[in-house]
Amino acid sequence: MCLPAPLRSGAAPLGPADPPFAHEPSRPMNIYLPIAEMSESVLVLLGMGAAVGFLSGLFGVGGGFLITPLLMFTGVPAPVAVGTSTAQLVASSVSGALAQYNRNNVDIKLGSVLLAGGVVGTLIGVEIVRILRQAGQFELFLALCYVLFLGVIGTLMLIESVQTVWKTRSGVPASSRGRGEHSWVHGLPLKMRFHRSKLYISAIPPLLIGAFVGFLAAIMGVGGGFVMVPALIYLLRVPTNVVVGTSLFQTVFVAAAATILHAGTISSVDLVLAAILMVGGVIGAQLGASAGSQLKGEQLRLLLAGIVLLVCVRLGWDLVVAPAELYSLAQPAGAR
Amino acid sequence: MMRAVALCVMSLVVAAVAAAPVLAADGTLVAQAAKKAKPRPVAAPQQPMPTSAPERVEADVSTRTIAITSGYSGAEILVFGAIENSRQPSAESGFYDVAVVIEGAPEPLMVRKKGRVAGLWVNTATFNFNAVPSYYAVASTRPLEEFADAALLDDNGLGLEAVRMSAAADSAVRVSSEDLIAFKDAVRRLKQSADLFKRADYGVIFTGRSLFRATIALPATVPVGPLTARVFLFHEGKLLSKYQARVVLEREGIERWLYAFAFERPFLYGIAAVLLALATGLIASAAFRRRGT
Repeated sequence: MCLPAPLRSGAAPLGPADPPFAHEPSRPMNIYLPIAEMSESVLVLLGMGAAVGFLSGLFGVGGGFLITPLLMFTGVPAPVAVGTSTAQLVASSVSGALAQYNRNNVDIKLGSVLLAGGVVGTLIGVEIVRILRQAGQFELFLALCYVLFLGVIGTLMLIESVQTVWKTRSGVPASSRGRGEHSWVHGLPLKMRFHRSKLYISAIPPLLIGAFVGFLAAIMGVGGGFVMVPALIYLLRVPTNVVVGTSLFQTVFVAAAATILHAGTISSVDLVLAAILMVGGVIGAQLGASAGSQLKGEQLRLLLAGIVLLVCVRLGWDLVVAPAELYSLAQPAGAR
Repeated sequence: MMRAVALCVMSLVVAAVAAAPVLAADGTLVAQAAKKAKPRPVAAPQQPMPTSAPERVEADVSTRTIAITSGYSGAEILVFGAIENSRQPSAESGFYDVAVVIEGAPEPLMVRKKGRVAGLWVNTATFNFNAVPSYYAVASTRPLEEFADAALLDDNGLGLEAVRMSAAADSAVRVSSEDLIAFKDAVRRLKQSADLFKRADYGVIFTGRSLFRATIALPATVPVGPLTARVFLFHEGKLLSKYQARVVLEREGIERWLYAFAFERPFLYGIAAVLLALATGLIASAAFRRRGT
């Protein structure tokens, strides 16, 4: 009726005969990310956002040093991972900063000085990224930066917090800040009074710290809290409870600037991905802030030191151990 | 019973497409198919037809446009076609060999190689390709090497060994030919492990004397853009005919809008991203405060 006889007689049975490429079953919880150009499970992304947000609220670190590698691990292209994590940082740090502000834990004046330095540092960092990209050594520089900074800071924090915990155990009252203890920092000019931090110090160290953190934000795609927090504690002797809030305050603005820069220059911010990470992140940040207020300063620092060292060892491992695959593929700069 | 009817309908559509490359309304399709079918010499199916007319292959794809929406997690493309003047006695006779290639748009690609410097594994060499297909899948009735020689495969860009990769001039002059081969092998290896280069040696099957089909799965990571479907007909190591069709991967709905926004108004997009982030953070803070933390 519908076919000439010869065609039908030779026909194979319909249906099971297809031996095609293994077809991935469509997963209902997956969502397509338009800029990253890939499909990923909503639950995995939400969980990642929540975990990183929790750390953000707990320690006052932006969490960029965790979310960028995590995103790349799930297959997000490196530029999109960096660009999107900056947008996520804005959300997680603003809710964290506000939570800290409500507890009167933000030194606005100190934060503003840090931010002023941060803007200058970001601009310098962007230029250095451009130069390193042209030389083709940006990835190496990035990995070395991560290992170096995470290693040094993690080790310092570990030693310090172990000593504090030890002293507390052995009955010696832990002096959180040596009042009247003067270092070279206190000999510099341009002195300013920071009431909330109970400090009367030169504006130059916070400006330099801010610039350095802004520089790191531009080259490493991180909020820089993991440098800012120890620098404020150990160099400026800012009280621990103010450090977290002030660092978050500064991170909001540095991350916002970095987001606009990343989106504006290489269109590497994925809003769908960012939105999912944000929802997970803000919830995690709130929980983290509450948990942080119930933990002691030295316990917090011990915990953060452990996480920082873990990430450092993981990144350093890749640099030292012979890789199974010597080659890697990348999008040439400016190809997207 | 149902299967038989389904087979009839499908085969009819395929035959119609083969006969008339321009898709028309349903009614005309049936008419054309019937007209086309009638003059076909109804020879005994067991013997090759006594015709000297050259074979021609025609093909089409099941979906011309694949819409990428938020639920997109890859797609499956059915490539089907027919051989005009087929001399094949039956679907199982293996008289012809067919290869189907689906290829993405060529795009620049950078390959890096790690080397050991002062105890650290760092990228020591970089090689740039001007154009490497973003996606390449080849399916055939049996392994390509069994029915065509390397030169023929290479001429037609058939098989993973023959994928067109053009080196950038500045990179090509810097490396030796062995290194160039190593870089090309690395591209194939890495793309294969990412499911972006693949081959299916028995992925094309004949469903009739002249009808064949192949199903090719596109992972969600295939870059958006035009895809080319090419079909090759072989007999005894000779290329008899080839045919080309196009598939377009397109973003739809909110995905399309966002992508256009990100690339056409990048700074505004960045500001929107920051505002969205601030709003999310502030709404969350307000929500948590009201719950009395």
